[in-house]
Amino acid sequence: MPPRLNILSIPRAIAFRPRAPVSVWRNERVIRISPSLSLCRNFADSKDPPAVDKSQNRDAQPLPHVSEEAAETAEIMGLEGPDIEQGTPVEEIVKGDKEAQDKLPKVIKDSIKSSAPKGSRSFSTSAFRPQDLELVEMEAPPPPPVMLGIKFGLPALPIPSDAHLKYRYDPVVKQVTNLLMRHGKLSIAQRNMSLILTHLRTSPPPTINPARPLIPGAPPPSHLPLNPILYLTLAIDSVAPLLRIRSQKGAAGGGVALQIPVPLGLRQRRRTAVEWILTAATKRKNRGSGKGGFAQRVAEELVAVVEGKSSVWERRNAIHKLGVAARANLNLRRR
Amino acid sequence: MSSSLCVRRLSLAPSDVSAHTSMATRSLLAYSCNASFSTSSAQLAQNLQKKSKAALPPQRGTKNSVTLKRKTPARDVGKRPAPGERKALRKRIVLSNINAFEVPGLRDLHTTNMHADSVKGRVMGLPGTVVDSLRAVEAFKTTQGWNLFRRPAILMRRESAQIAEFIQEVEAAQGKKTIRRIIIGDRASGKSTLVLQALTMAFLKEWVVINLPDAKEIIIGHTEYAPMPGSNRTQYTQNVYTANLLSQIAKANTAVLSKLQLTTKPDLPITVPPNATLVKLAELGAATPEYSWPIFRALWDELTQPNRPPIIFAIDGLGHIMRDSAYLSTNFKPIHAHDLTIVRHFIDHLSGAAALPNGGIVLAATTGSNNPSSPALDFSIQVAEARAKGMNSLPTWNPYKSADQRSLDSLKNVEMLRLNGLSKEEARTIMEYYAASGMLRRTVDNNFVSDQWTLSGGGNIGELERGTVKLRI
Repeated sequence: MPPRLNILSIPRAIAFRPRAPVSVWRNERVIRISPSLSLCRNFADSKDPPAVDKSQNRDAQPLPHVSEEAAETAEIMGLEGPDIEQGTPVEEIVKGDKEAQDKLPKVIKDSIKSSAPKGSRSFSTSAFRPQDLELVEMEAPPPPPVMLGIKFGLPALPIPSDAHLKYRYDPVVKQVTNLLMRHGKLSIAQRNMSLILTHLRTSPPPTINPARPLIPGAPPPSHLPLNPILYLTLAIDSVAPLLRIRSQKGAAGGGVALQIPVPLGLRQRRRTAVEWILTAATKRKNRGSGKGGFAQRVAEELVAVVEGKSSVWERRNAIHKLGVAARANLNLRRR
Repeated sequence: MSSSLCVRRLSLAPSDVSAHTSMATRSLLAYSCNASFSTSSAQLAQNLQKKSKAALPPQRGTKNSVTLKRKTPARDVGKRPAPGERKALRKRIVLSNINAFEVPGLRDLHTTNMHADSVKGRVMGLPGTVVDSLRAVEAFKTTQGWNLFRRPAILMRRESAQIAEFIQEVEAAQGKKTIRRIIIGDRASGKSTLVLQALTMAFLKEWVVINLPDAKEIIIGHTEYAPMPGSNRTQYTQNVYTANLLSQIAKANTAVLSKLQLTTKPDLPITVPPNATLVKLAELGAATPEYSWPIFRALWDELTQPNRPPIIFAIDGLGHIMRDSAYLSTNFKPIHAHDLTIVRHFIDHLSGAAALPNGGIVLAATTGSNNPSSPALDFSIQVAEARAKGMNSLPTWNPYKSADQRSLDSLKNVEMLRLNGLSKEEARTIMEYYAASGMLRRTVDNNFVSDQWTLSGGGNIGELERGTVKLRI
């Protein structure tokens, strides 16, 4: 009689979703400013691994690429190692290593076995490199045709859909300004926004708390005061919650609402974060008098957020914790 | 049939009177009909009362329920701000931004390069000693953008060069020349900053600088006032204000006034040591507010003695002193601003009624953002501009407006200095300075300059600054 319990089989299906690529994060402004600090893993031909400049401790520094390691070893031993300028094929790396060869995927094992080039590959394995591109002589673009009666030339077509006055300002600044507005007084909100950005520019650079990590790709704190809009964006995006909890009545039974985590869009996330920050700012004490008091408090709260001192972080963590707990309530149907 | 029925009703026995109330009241046989036979009605009445009481809402002022407790409002137990602390924070002048870049190649303004062609249209830094003096005379305003840059710097625009020429003329005439000007222009066109530039150059030339930072403070009735004894048309002194002015003069002009000693023997109610320096005299006035006005007069007399440096006397917000002040006389009439001694003193010099024997400049800037209605000033500006243009027909006074004759008379012979917008080259220079300071994150090219110049109303510098560095959308 076979055992009724099969230990090796998985009792139920595990919902596994691969992590989304990092490039999903949409604020390109931050990424553009510090490409070297982005989360993306570097390619084999890049000069330095991402964390090289961060750590002074030699042991903490990441290992170099396999080819670079081999090159270094070869240099120490006085031999000629692999060329680092080019990527090393997998076949070469595992050439002497029997154990590694056994663990290779089947496709590569097959390709190693049939080592003779067949020349009938259905796909291309050659990669373009920027150096190769440079070698190609580009022809100068043809001069634009001279048009009589047009002073500034024709615009490049197609005109982007957001190339009009409704999208004139930075989206974050515009959204925060509108959230600052009370009683429909936009001009006062705009003045407050200007005062907030001025405060961010004139206050000393923030000291980052490592326990409260900002979004990856954030520039060093010394760069922030000179780019107050980035400072504002960073503060808001760092504390923005990823989800909200929707209470669905009657779904749990017994009069208890079922709490269901719902993912938020970018604008929704920012909106929630700004509302939390504004709530925290209204609870601060007004030190001065006159018109700019509220703006001052909001700006101080933003600095506190970046420094990790703000109470908004606790709110965010609470929501995320609740979201993790309520994950069981999700009913993901298979399609 | 009906008649017989009526008759029958009339024949009702008196025992039935209670059934007919109208008859009962008239009845001479008045007996009580309140006495009741049974106890049931009384019990019923009690029950009814109880029920109605329970249905009523809880009575005001009584504790009806445990849950309905009056909440004491949460009291803020934090430390109270000290008197004047909040205002000080509001009026704080910040002249440096440690985040801004040091602009490479920014030279200081100096006596030697002040008149040179090389500084025209350039941004020049203010030397540290002058900055201290300017701060002492309250020449910096909170509304100006000094807090954005590493250190204070000014753009030597066309009108600044004109002021530099005035200073040169006065020095060349060796005390024979007094230049009187009213600076006019649109809102945020740089009038107060031009006064600051004039004061800067005067400090560099070691003139005596007397600045009334805001005319509004003199007339709104926030400082105490008292009639001056012995004045024919009653004049009013403002002792605390004058004492404060004297302390500002002493602090800002220490370098000049400490070299000058008393030459006359002023007739003062307090003893002044002979051979005292003028700084000492001013400090004495600052310390004794009750004698501050006589001491100010004595200081002025000393400064107008021969072989004294020229004087620059400036005011900001001229419109405020061209009308009635907020003070009241003993018969509850508003006091005209010209009856306040310190204003009178300035107006005498602005109108040319009193001369500066050692020469100097009298400057008055109008205000654009905080402009009081002063028809006399508006009309005088129109007339002066028409005269400067050489027009044959001068504008005439609108007879339906009440004329403030004293203000009109005082402004009769004053010339105007109109501040126009920056030229595109000047706009480009200042925008390059903004970019070099790190406050403007754009490439300054012809297109951008032209764009911003147009958007700022033809180079209005305040609007230009607002559009490029203040992030005011």
